[in-house]
Amino acid sequence: MTGSRGKSVFIWTVTWFCVITLSAPTVIIIGASFTAGEIIQFPPDGLSLRWYDALIGQTAFTDALWRTLYVSLVCTAVSIPAGVLAALATVRYRLRFRPAIQVYLLLPFTIPLVVSGIGMMVWFGELRILGALWPVGVGLCVINLPFMIWAVSASASALDPELENAAANCGAGPVMVFFTVTLPAVTPGIITGALLMFILAVNEFLVSLFLTDSRTVTLPVQIYNSIRSVITPDLAAISVVYIVLALAAVWLLDRLVGLEIFLKSR
Amino acid sequence: MASAQSAPSLFWRLIDGLEALLRRLVPPKRRGVTGWLFLAPALLLVGILAVGLGYIIEYSFHELDIATYRLKDAYSLGNYQTLIERPVYRNVLWRSLLGAALVTAITLFFAFPYAYAMTRTRSAAMRKFLLIALFLPFFIGQVVRAYGWLIILGKQGVINAMLAGLGLGTLDLIYNYGAVIFGLIQYMLPFAVLLLLPALAAIPEDVEMASEGLGANWVSTFRHVVLPMAKPGLIGAGIVVFTLTLTDFAMPEILGGGTTDFVASAIYDSFFQISNAGLGAALSVALVLIGSAFVALFFSIAGSTTLDIGGEKK
Repeated sequence: MTGSRGKSVFIWTVTWFCVITLSAPTVIIIGASFTAGEIIQFPPDGLSLRWYDALIGQTAFTDALWRTLYVSLVCTAVSIPAGVLAALATVRYRLRFRPAIQVYLLLPFTIPLVVSGIGMMVWFGELRILGALWPVGVGLCVINLPFMIWAVSASASALDPELENAAANCGAGPVMVFFTVTLPAVTPGIITGALLMFILAVNEFLVSLFLTDSRTVTLPVQIYNSIRSVITPDLAAISVVYIVLALAAVWLLDRLVGLEIFLKSR
Repeated sequence: MASAQSAPSLFWRLIDGLEALLRRLVPPKRRGVTGWLFLAPALLLVGILAVGLGYIIEYSFHELDIATYRLKDAYSLGNYQTLIERPVYRNVLWRSLLGAALVTAITLFFAFPYAYAMTRTRSAAMRKFLLIALFLPFFIGQVVRAYGWLIILGKQGVINAMLAGLGLGTLDLIYNYGAVIFGLIQYMLPFAVLLLLPALAAIPEDVEMASEGLGANWVSTFRHVVLPMAKPGLIGAGIVVFTLTLTDFAMPEILGGGTTDFVASAIYDSFFQISNAGLGAALSVALVLIGSAFVALFFSIAGSTTLDIGGEKK
């Protein structure tokens, strides 16, 4: 077992076990969504698309889906300018109190989501904006903002500041330099960050649970509420929406920046 | 026609206008503030959390008035006293901490070989497959994944259906502590692997070969070479998995079915079941303090900062 044979047996046994565990829920949900029976059981009572058909008639789910997409778009739209500027500030400018700023900007990750969610619920309640949909988008942006800053600052550190200096030297003003040199250079980071912000907002459950009510409920919360009563195949069909979105996100991320970027040593 | 060509195009007029506006707003002498202007939107957004946290801290010092079901105006430490005195909260905290420790240890044990296989495999196709297998669940979200496990592990789930088919009895696979721990491990695995990858990719394969060339078998090479070199990644992944597990809500709720509440469930119940915002706020403050204390403890043991974003030139 201590030979090189034993090593690869150990490594690959664990890896395949992980792959199966990671994929099992996805595969099972897809399978269950095509069942023809009234309840989810195995083996299923034949195949059908009836649960997808039933889904289209259920406005509770379709409305929740549209609200989720709206909220996620608000989240992404807010995060792009805020994240890009913050990343450039931390990479490009010599700021005082820099360590303190980094700690502060990581607060969304260090404060537990349940606490962030309740804190925003309380404050939004005081401001009387709880119950509107756009604050949910802003809230989701806040809790995931470090992802955006991280993605953009990775591109920004790769940009040689001499390029910006050269443009300025050739007579370009700061605005011109920003739009023709800096922004194009960090665009890959913006795309990665925006994609992450969007897909994480589509998925975010706990903070959405606190910031939505029965009129503004979003899809993750709607699914959670339905799980509690009884497990029916329509829930599997709506979950397939998430699997399709996740597949699209992985494909896009791979096409645009390459998944291998996560393998780079920092 | 000639006049149109000599006049600057709309694009240049726009740029010039913006440059002039910038000069008016931020005179070149005061360019030092540009960095702060750039930071302002992010600082304000994160400020929403800071204000929210401020509200929670404020609430935590007001006890519930049973007569009116509102928080009393007077400040007191009564809510914190309740947390310390009632064994139910001690149990919840203990269950969450134990869960976080278990999940962290087991997740790192599984994540390490996965990340190692991904950085060392010669096959690009295999690497891509492992990356996709990792990212797909990462992007599917906790509620949907927990629902998938309910279908697999539930009373009439896949596994019990198979056992019944073989003539064996059924098992209670959900609504217990083990199910919650299992669900959390599966949920945390992608986080852990993604945080381990850069650390493992930074270890040159030559170092391992040198160790093996000098007669060490792979187990001792792992123990004395690979693991110590991957320490920053292990600590980063450990801290993230520990804190995310400690504060998780969905897995204990869905796979535990209310039988195995973690701290987040207790906070939720204080606010929405017993409508005692003061007590829930005190629990929230306690959770933040305990979580931060553990992170500080990890860092002091490990003595490295692996989690800073941006900045430093590599």
